[in-house]
Amino acid sequence: MAQISTVISRFYNDYSVKTPKKLKLIDAYLTYILITGVVQFIYCCLVGTFPFNSFLSGFISCVSCFVLGVCLRLQVNPENKHQFAGISPERGFADFIFAHVVLHLVVMNFIG
Amino acid sequence: MVQAGSKKTQVPKLSSKTGISSLIIFVVLLLAWIVGFSSRLFAVIRFESIIHEFDPWFNYRATAYMVKHGFYNFLNWFDERAWYPLGRIVGGTVYPGLMLTSGSIHYFLHLLHINVHIRDICVFLAPVFSGLTAISTYFLTKELWSAGAGLFAACFIAIVPGYISRSVAGSYDNEGIAIFALQFTYFLWIKSVKTGSVFWAITAALSYFYMVSAWGGYVFIINLIPLHVFVLLLMGRFSNRLFTSYTTFYIIGLICSMQIPFVGFQPIRTSEHMAASGVFVLLFAVGALKYLQSMLSKSEFKSVVIYGGLIAAALVFLTVVLLTYAGYIAPWSGRFYSLWDTGYAKIHIPIIASVSEHQPTTWFSFFFDLHILAATFPAGLWYCIKNVNDERVFVILYSISAVYFAGVMVRLMLTLTPVVCILSGIAFSGLLELFLREDDNVRPEEQEDEDQNTPNKRQLYDKAGAGGRLPKIKHDQSKESDGIGQNIRSIVTIVIMLLLMLFAVHCTWVTGNAYSSPSIVLASYGSDGSRQILDDFREAYFWLSQNTADDARVMSWWDYGYQIAGMANRTTLVDNNTWNNSHIALVGKAMSSNETAAYDIMTALDVDYVLVIFGGVIGYSGDDINKFLWMVRIAEGEHPKDIRESDYFTEHGEFRVDAEGSPTLLNSLMYKLSYYRFGELKLDYRTPAGYDRTRNAVIGNKDFSLTYLEEAYTTEHWLVRVYKVKKPDEFNRPRIPVANRVIKSPNFISKKSNKRKKGTIKNKPVVVKGKRLSKNQ
Amino acid sequence: MWKSILLLLCITYVHGAEKVNKQIINKNVERSIDLTSQLVKISSVITIENAGKESVQNYLIVVESPVNGNLSIITVKDALKEDVKFKPAEIEGRKDLTAYNVILKQPLDSGRATVITVETIFTKSLVPHPTSILQKEKQLVRYFGNAYLYSPYNTKKQTTNVALSSRSIENYTKLKPSSQSDSTITYGPFQDIQSYSNEEIVVHYENNAPFLTVSRLERNIEISHWGNIAIEENIEIHHTGAKLKGPFSRYDYQRDSGSAHSIKSYRTILPAAAHSIYYRDSNGNISTSNVKTRNEWTELELKPRFPLFGGWQSSYTLGYSVPSYQYLYKNKLGEYVLNMRLIDHVFDDMHVEELETSIVLPVGVSNIRVKTPYETKRLDDGVTYKYLDSIGRTIIKLRKNNLVEQHIQDFEIKYEWKFTLLFHEPLLLTLAMFVLFVFAIIYVRLDFSLKKTEHQKKE
Repeated sequence: MAQISTVISRFYNDYSVKTPKKLKLIDAYLTYILITGVVQFIYCCLVGTFPFNSFLSGFISCVSCFVLGVCLRLQVNPENKHQFAGISPERGFADFIFAHVVLHLVVMNFIG
Repeated sequence: MVQAGSKKTQVPKLSSKTGISSLIIFVVLLLAWIVGFSSRLFAVIRFESIIHEFDPWFNYRATAYMVKHGFYNFLNWFDERAWYPLGRIVGGTVYPGLMLTSGSIHYFLHLLHINVHIRDICVFLAPVFSGLTAISTYFLTKELWSAGAGLFAACFIAIVPGYISRSVAGSYDNEGIAIFALQFTYFLWIKSVKTGSVFWAITAALSYFYMVSAWGGYVFIINLIPLHVFVLLLMGRFSNRLFTSYTTFYIIGLICSMQIPFVGFQPIRTSEHMAASGVFVLLFAVGALKYLQSMLSKSEFKSVVIYGGLIAAALVFLTVVLLTYAGYIAPWSGRFYSLWDTGYAKIHIPIIASVSEHQPTTWFSFFFDLHILAATFPAGLWYCIKNVNDERVFVILYSISAVYFAGVMVRLMLTLTPVVCILSGIAFSGLLELFLREDDNVRPEEQEDEDQNTPNKRQLYDKAGAGGRLPKIKHDQSKESDGIGQNIRSIVTIVIMLLLMLFAVHCTWVTGNAYSSPSIVLASYGSDGSRQILDDFREAYFWLSQNTADDARVMSWWDYGYQIAGMANRTTLVDNNTWNNSHIALVGKAMSSNETAAYDIMTALDVDYVLVIFGGVIGYSGDDINKFLWMVRIAEGEHPKDIRESDYFTEHGEFRVDAEGSPTLLNSLMYKLSYYRFGELKLDYRTPAGYDRTRNAVIGNKDFSLTYLEEAYTTEHWLVRVYKVKKPDEFNRPRIPVANRVIKSPNFISKKSNKRKKGTIKNKPVVVKGKRLSKNQ
Repeated sequence: MWKSILLLLCITYVHGAEKVNKQIINKNVERSIDLTSQLVKISSVITIENAGKESVQNYLIVVESPVNGNLSIITVKDALKEDVKFKPAEIEGRKDLTAYNVILKQPLDSGRATVITVETIFTKSLVPHPTSILQKEKQLVRYFGNAYLYSPYNTKKQTTNVALSSRSIENYTKLKPSSQSDSTITYGPFQDIQSYSNEEIVVHYENNAPFLTVSRLERNIEISHWGNIAIEENIEIHHTGAKLKGPFSRYDYQRDSGSAHSIKSYRTILPAAAHSIYYRDSNGNISTSNVKTRNEWTELELKPRFPLFGGWQSSYTLGYSVPSYQYLYKNKLGEYVLNMRLIDHVFDDMHVEELETSIVLPVGVSNIRVKTPYETKRLDDGVTYKYLDSIGRTIIKLRKNNLVEQHIQDFEIKYEWKFTLLFHEPLLLTLAMFVLFVFAIIYVRLDFSLKKTEHQKKE
């Protein structure tokens, strides 16, 4: 266990040093989304899932935002540049916005 | 077709310009489209512009309803003319993609004041979409291999019988547009895997959404793509590109697919869809691990992995088990079991087994539907395995799974066909690349062009190239390295050309002869070659529509339900959307009981007319007597006390309609309705009266009369016979003790209510393509 | 022919009540009642004598009240078989009668006589009796009629011949004198009959002529100045004979025992120039029809999908095209004149209950004038859009009830139209294509430039 905690602390240090600011911003966004998702999940466990489609659309939109955020982070990360040859950060961001437009249109339709 | 097929090869010699090569690609695809379209028109030219078969009639009726009443009314449409007395919520039990597609085409054309009748749109929708399929196949193959292979694949898919069988003009069915959606989704998926772009993943998800709205076969996509991802993970080919494309595709595809009322919450509740979410979670785990790996040292990483991995695995397993146990996730439906165990349906769900297209595929039909492609596609597969990369893993998995499914069910031949075309395209393109590098004067011009065609196009599309110089280099290389003699080359190319030619001829022949009959209009050929049209089905349906009360209820075997609803516009008891097995069993029971017992069932169900198909006069084999055993079996499944299959066989276990047939059979309602007054009919001088041409026997029960029914109409060739059920005051009812009757009728009522519970509340209808329904017992 | 019809046209309103001129007497009347088909055709040859002092020009024809609702058409001819003008009238004191005032061509001087022929056709006047029969039974019908000419004038002498379709007569009213020979019954001669006399006769006989009624006929005529006129008729037919009782047996039908009252097929006559004929219903093409081209006309043998028995009905659509030069011409004033039949032949001795003829005029017509051969109801004009129309086309709709073969007459429509409108749509289409290609060109160019900038961005 002790080993784990040292690992975690080292990881934290590495992270704050190595990660560019842009990515940290995205990470903050992701954390926020993650918390929203967890809150929703706890809520549904406590209160129930009654309008199931509303719960689903809320929860899935959370997950999707998280997924899209992670994708954006991957694409923007300069370390991954060789993997995403055709995709500039601007293009990644444009895709991100496009995906959100599609996502929220569907979610709004689904939320009932 | 042959001409057009050769046309595609007659292209001018290439210069290095992009313009010309894209012109060639454009022309070839256009020709493929035109050829594909026109070869599907046999039925229209031979017969007329008409909807074929059974299911398309429902789709057509639903489309016409939508066009007339608007989309929202369509979604809320409760059809009280089907499944009397239950009715059917159509909006919630169909895949609306097909109706929406043709409805929007109709709307668009009418905006331009091109007043096309919706029927014509429905008839020509599948041929038009076959062109789009060819184009998306081209793009998919281009992504997988090369533009040349893509052109081959596009040409193959345009004319291959396995696909034509489901997309001739008039077969207005989900598959017609679904194969396009399937290919297009795969293309976009491959594209997104290649680039890792969120944009392509979103388009793939949208295309998947279209597919979900169109066909129940979308389950194939949502299992194949995760399988692809999973196999890539196993092969250690994880990349961030894969992560972005799959996660985006999955999550957007998931929420999109739940927009279809018929699909509803299935994507998160049924086992069929669970693989996809499992892979989604797995991918996240792997992604997180990779990220940690990049941040941490090896030993630290190991310990994190061990703890984290163990906890995660236990959690996932527990949740799935719990959810399944608590009933949140439905177990696999019977239809899917029948995919793994081919004997399953036969034992448990006779209604699925009774459909001929659910039988296992024979070798013959592989050859019939694919011809040489069946032989060449393993070569393409081999090429792919040898030069494997991320995308080719996909096509390998696609082909292997599709081959398996096609082997299980004839119907799934349809999903195999596109991948066979792709792989054969790759094989042919690979072969020709090998043998046709050179420009020789000896060779016929056609082949020469072909040769130039393939490799060059590829280069141009690789964009690698400084175009013009490359062919020369290759030319030189091939001369040195290949070392294949000229004669061998020409022999091989000629053989290939011959094969392709044979293929085209075969396709034309098969399309013309096997897949282009509307099945509601039959044609027979006289000894002098003259063609006679037997239009009995429409005769009977039109009679029903004109000369029966508007709310008359017609009982027939379920095969004809959609046609009666579509053409005669009358209420039916059962139809091709076989979601309610017990209702069908009740109709089966009525057909297999004697007249008195049947009359009780028919009055309980308010039947006004009974319609049977009888082929004995013209020798039509698809009639109700030949389907009769299925009715008995299905009835037996629900009413084992009253109906026993063995009663309908002779002592030697034969099914015979002649004098030796079992008495139960000879007195069953179906027998009587089919052969009423047939015993007096002498068809020609050589045969005795009452000679059944379909079963080549003189019928056993010739002289009988009907008590409770009367002949209302029989068509010209006796193919369709309609009987009217008499009202109680219209016949001299044999004396039945009152007590008996009183006992019987509550019996039926209870069965009905029982059925209602089963049908609408407990078992949600899970129709695939409207035809069979996986009602599980 | 239609010049004389024009004479009938102008009858649009009813004049004031007419007095019966007692000077006139019917010197001799010869009536023949034709009951061979489903229609009742009565033709009366009347010799009119002026017994008074003053010359007369008007002669009144009346139709008695129970049957006047069934009167489909009435024509009056003189001795030279030329049409005589007449108009609806009302008789003083007898407003329940339908009366027509015939205006003789020349005034009839005192003591002189002249001959006119009055032809009337009644529909729905043969009543099946029994009203429903079995498949193998015969179809018997009853005719209720008057042995005398119903006339406001006194008649000196008259005879009535009843022609039947068959010799098998169940019974008939035996007046004195009357006789039957073969399929004809003769009543009379009678002498000195008072005005408005009515002696009912009933004839009950076998009639296997097709009792086929067109319950509704929608006739759509679409004119294209490209040289084609497309005609489409939506027809609902109904067997109005004795209803079929009990089962229909295909076996008996094929052995052809009885069932003579069923209708297997009938002939429709189309114009000689008709081409691209189609015969279909809501379920698609009906494959059982034959086209024979004669010199003067095109003959179409139509077989409904199923044989029609009493009480059964069917419906179908028949369409064809004719070249426009035969029907459409330009007059001296530069107007276009269209002359076409308001209703066309459906089958012999047809009876059409309701007709609605719609004429779709080309795009952009103005100053439309419609002239019909007989009184019709003109509905509100409609507008429709056909292929790529941006301006609608006017539809003229005419309606009329209770028609028979004698109503096959031409209507006339005059309108003004500019020739240049013909090129309106092709031009529009060309323009649209042009715009499309321009866009494609621009798009391709744009695509290139975009790529370049993108590359630059990346680098």
